[in-house]
Amino acid sequence: MTTTVVLDNEAVQALLSVRHPKHARTLSSVQVVTDRRRNDRPTRLLVPTAVRVEAGWDRTAPAAAFINRLGIVDVPLDRAAADVAAALVATHHVSVADAHVGAALRTVAGPVTVVTSDPGDMRTVAGTADVVIVTL
Amino acid sequence: MDAIGRIRELLDSTDEETVGTSMRLPAALREAAALAVSELGAAASITALAADALWLRLDALVAEAALDAHYDRYPTLRPSLAELAIAAAELDGNPLASRPDDIRRAAAAIIERHPDADADDVLLWAEAQAESAA
Repeated sequence: MTTTVVLDNEAVQALLSVRHPKHARTLSSVQVVTDRRRNDRPTRLLVPTAVRVEAGWDRTAPAAAFINRLGIVDVPLDRAAADVAAALVATHHVSVADAHVGAALRTVAGPVTVVTSDPGDMRTVAGTADVVIVTL
Repeated sequence: MDAIGRIRELLDSTDEETVGTSMRLPAALREAAALAVSELGAAASITALAADALWLRLDALVAEAALDAHYDRYPTLRPSLAELAIAAAELDGNPLASRPDDIRRAAAAIIERHPDADADDVLLWAEAQAESAA
């Protein structure tokens, strides 16, 4: 079964800049995922596209060259995800990016972990989903 | 663009165009793949099975190469085995994550006997140590 690691805003920001105070810590998580992929342990890194917007990750920007190479897959804010995210924003008054994380969590099968600096909001948007939260 | 960047760009491409290849496979491997497809439903075809496996291997290889190049440029950023094991415990929701000192001790112990140990080896070692101490 594939294990999924979802990156929230600060995890993305940390990977975008070597000067970010949590860059090294976030790198360790990515290194673990990469090692497991190399050892044929199915593991994937996901980023909801609204999180990319909030974190300022433009895949066409030269500054994104490093993070672009890490195999982090976009989860688009499609029609279904937008409906779920809109309901989460209306109910919990969370940000669009956090709501998109919540919508993404509802579509993931198997073990899932969120790497975030905002564990409270992540638990809120996760709802009843069984999610491991790693707090940066 | 360097090779790593170009490979990543190609892996991320949504271009569905296919090309024929003259790749030669060991006969036994091909038969094993055929059985996996027909009897185990591993993929829609041998070609799909091979393409998926190749994509996954290249995906991991590029990420690993990108990280290695990053550490070459910023050597102090390379995580230690203990740091990786702590990160692995956190990602897994492993109770050991709340005992980082136990993980550091396990990493120090295992690396003496098994220099190629990885983060998951450290966690197994630490769990075994905890079991035997209980």
